[in-house]
Amino acid sequence: MKSLAQALSVARKDLAIELRTKESINAAGAFAVVILLLFSFAFDPGADATREIGGGLLWLVFAFAGALIFNRGFARELPNDCLDTLLSSAVSGASLLLGKSFANLLMLLAVEFLSLFVFGIFYDVRWWLRPLELAALCVLATWGISVIGAVFGALTVNLRLRELMLPVIIYPLLIPLLIAAIEITNALFSNRPLGSYELLWGRVLLVFDIVFTALAMALAETILVN
Amino acid sequence: MRDKFVVALAVAAGVLLAFNLYRIFLVLPDEALQGAIYRIIFFHVPAAITGMIGYFAALLLSLAYLSFGNFRYDSLAASVVEVSVVFSVVNIVTGSIWARVIWGIWWTWDYRLTSALVCVLIFSGYLMLRRAIDEPTQRARLSAALCVFGCIDVVIVWKSIEWFRTQHPGPVLSIRTGGGRIDPAMEQMLYLNFAAILMIAIALVLIRTRQEATAREIDSLRRIANAA
Amino acid sequence: MDARNFTFMFYGFLAAWLIVLLYVISLARRGARLNRELEQVKQLIGADRASEPARLEDRSR
Repeated sequence: MKSLAQALSVARKDLAIELRTKESINAAGAFAVVILLLFSFAFDPGADATREIGGGLLWLVFAFAGALIFNRGFARELPNDCLDTLLSSAVSGASLLLGKSFANLLMLLAVEFLSLFVFGIFYDVRWWLRPLELAALCVLATWGISVIGAVFGALTVNLRLRELMLPVIIYPLLIPLLIAAIEITNALFSNRPLGSYELLWGRVLLVFDIVFTALAMALAETILVN
Repeated sequence: MRDKFVVALAVAAGVLLAFNLYRIFLVLPDEALQGAIYRIIFFHVPAAITGMIGYFAALLLSLAYLSFGNFRYDSLAASVVEVSVVFSVVNIVTGSIWARVIWGIWWTWDYRLTSALVCVLIFSGYLMLRRAIDEPTQRARLSAALCVFGCIDVVIVWKSIEWFRTQHPGPVLSIRTGGGRIDPAMEQMLYLNFAAILMIAIALVLIRTRQEATAREIDSLRRIANAA
Repeated sequence: MDARNFTFMFYGFLAAWLIVLLYVISLARRGARLNRELEQVKQLIGADRASEPARLEDRSR
């Protein structure tokens, strides 16, 4: 319970900094919008084609925008030795990672919300038809992305070429999660009822989230010790 | 002592390989449906199994490093991953060439193909990460963590896509099917070539580990030189 | 043997061994480079030792 409170205070701190500077959100949001625009120029898809590729397009945009956010997550703590202070404080490594994941989750969800509006306008997709299922999917899938992002943001924070290494490492790891999210999103956009096929992918998402959250907590001290 | 062992292993692998190649090309007949191309299986499957054994060993070695902190586990894990990636690439390339003939396409998003590719991508990331870190303790710790994440991810990819349809031929070895899916002479050939390829892989791993030890020695000598 | 099949089989074996060969070459080159570096560092230290033997002995204690 105490570690959860610690995690929440870390997340609150990060979000407060973010609300003041808006550096990650602005960069990631602008990036997502630009990519969506470019894709609509490049393909100019009709309604049917959009429903086919919409899920894939959106989740790739979210993953790319996510990398921008995750890069800042721990790099933000480097000036003034904030990271060393955090590590030597009473906050445990697991709480720190969990807090960073929460902050990542909320920032990325904000970017996703913005992207969905832009997507709806440029691609003429009625994405709000199944709001609850879409919201549940976004939270589940984004949590997985956020945990991986927090872990590998921490792992690469001291590297030269940090901004290059992070995407190279996280995208292969995210493949199962992205496939699952894309399959379910496509079903939601074409307003199909979720059958056993989609539910299987939902299970993949759930397993991914649980396994990697647990693993991140277990290896937190290994990753964070300097 | 160790050098002699590596040389002996390499020579033995070479002899076995020459014998295998003779049998594969000149003794075994063409397969009834696939013709000559089926012979790729004698390299495709052993390379795949060698790669998988390597990744599993790397997982165990990474856990061992995280538990005991001995650098030997770390350099062994790095060597094993590097050699496994090479054999995984062999596996994918030979499979692709086989698929071009039999399926008419180079690639399909089948679960075995996908998980093999994900393996290569993740462990290439592992090798790149090792190059990006200079400090040995940090390198060992972080790459061990990545290895654990990577191996578990591969399991998830494998399991998740296995639930869905597949185009890849099912298992043929009798330890998985109880026999009857493959001609005994061909199966024996598979095991023999697996032995040869595994021996080559072990020799390569030993050479690579030796290089890691040399690199560590250079590192410590440099430190002495800098301190003096 | 089936001719078309045979060509592809040949490519398959060629590709497999080419990949292994390329790796072995890169391994050999890296080994040679490491050995060279080791020699260099040893010489460096040997030179140090000749010029300031006392300090190095102090360190070993």
